[in-house]
Amino acid sequence: MIEMHDVWKVYPNGIEALRGIDVKVDQGEFVYIVGPSGAGKSSFIKLMYREEKPTHGVVLINGVNVKRVRDWKIPYVRRRIGVVFQDYKLLPHLSAYENVAFAMEAVETPKREMKPRVQEVLELVGLGDRMKALPSQLSGGEQQRVSIARAIVNNPTFIIADEPTGNLDPENSWDIMYLLEEINARGTTVVMATHNKEIVNTMRQRVIAIEQGVIVRDELEGEYGYED
Amino acid sequence: MKIETISRHFREAYRGIMKNSWMSFAAMGTVAVTLLIFGVFLIFAFNINYLTKELDKQLAVRASLQDNMPPAKQTEILNKIKQNPLVKNADLVPKDKGLEEMKQSWGDANFIDGLKSGDQNPLPDIIRIEPSDPKKVKELETQAKAIEGVVAADSGGGVTQTLLGFSGVVRNVILIFGVALSVLAAFLISNTIKLTIIARRKEIEVMRLVGASNWFIRWPFFIEGAFIGMTGAILPIGILLILYQAFFNTINSGAAYTVIQMMPVSALGAYLAVSTFILGALIGISGSLLSVRKFLKI
Repeated sequence: MIEMHDVWKVYPNGIEALRGIDVKVDQGEFVYIVGPSGAGKSSFIKLMYREEKPTHGVVLINGVNVKRVRDWKIPYVRRRIGVVFQDYKLLPHLSAYENVAFAMEAVETPKREMKPRVQEVLELVGLGDRMKALPSQLSGGEQQRVSIARAIVNNPTFIIADEPTGNLDPENSWDIMYLLEEINARGTTVVMATHNKEIVNTMRQRVIAIEQGVIVRDELEGEYGYED
Repeated sequence: MKIETISRHFREAYRGIMKNSWMSFAAMGTVAVTLLIFGVFLIFAFNINYLTKELDKQLAVRASLQDNMPPAKQTEILNKIKQNPLVKNADLVPKDKGLEEMKQSWGDANFIDGLKSGDQNPLPDIIRIEPSDPKKVKELETQAKAIEGVVAADSGGGVTQTLLGFSGVVRNVILIFGVALSVLAAFLISNTIKLTIIARRKEIEVMRLVGASNWFIRWPFFIEGAFIGMTGAILPIGILLILYQAFFNTINSGAAYTVIQMMPVSALGAYLAVSTFILGALIGISGSLLSVRKFLKI
């Protein structure tokens, strides 16, 4: 569960990216974050996986106040969160299998537990037969699937996706959306920032719209609401 | 920490070294030069410590007696000296025995025989007095001089002080050079580690995102720095021990009178190797620490 109470994010250059955000995302929800460029979506997303600290207010991730938590405990908070990016952030010298296993190695999972779990998640994202391929040998859609496999391999309680379809063609975008929908159906919360009007309007999930650092709309089964 | 994780950290550290092999090699070279200088300092320091202890053990007041003093009078003076609480032990060394001892310690009997004018032994009869406390040797020297029948008393303490004073200055100069070079070596290692951090920034970013602990991310860099430091220590340890052995052999052989009591190589070797290794590792870890603190944003 993610909660924000009167959250402000002001950068050192004086820009107020978020102003008084109050929001609550429950376990198992699927939430789209929409809004024009520069509205504060990225800051909002970054607060959720503690890449940024709030300047003011309280951010609770699974009940933990991320502003108060000691730095050395942050990794343990992040282990309950999976993050997916527009540019995939895969390690180019590692195969699909190794990229996913890397996430398990980083949290010191015993080797004997790694192999079956990595195979399981790669099969779940439809890449059971592409495990040995390097990122350069995979299409954009396949790379994003590896990235999603890496995000879910450590069994997070929620997935934060920052424009995961931003670099993909419509067909691959839909494949990724179906995959995220399936992961959500298994009980994992999904929070996704997007500019894709068609996806938001078709999937009909909760939509939070941010403009100029303020939540201007929060609707269940909402619409994209912008022209671009 | 699990064995799997430890072996992973070592593997990653090795990868880092191999990736920037030339830079790592240069850093090892700098550490080697630094530790060579530091090693000379350590040898000086260990030997001065050893010499001080040895000189303290050998410290004695040599009270020269008047020529042709009757043996009864000599024994009377000896007994009087023995009663002094500052005295641990005292014994009479007649001039003939004194000459024999001198021959043995100089190792060149002909040279000593040449000092004799005809059959005349130039040495006086002496009483050798061991102090109970080496610090009070000067006081004992003054008291011995005051005894009737003693013409001179000398402990040689002045020579020891001059020797120690000179050694101290040399030691400080070497130490200053060593410290300056250590800082330089640490900076060079820091730069090497910085290159590894830059080369692996994507991996570090992913590790952070998936929740790798801070130490899980840092360990390979510390191991890399310590490895560079310790590898850089191997060569100077070898060179210093070989040179020291050669110097030790020269000083302790031939006809020269052994004024300088040098620490045996067997005793020095262990101290030197352990100290130099630890210093190498410390320089390496300091270098890593500099880079990790500055460039590794977790």
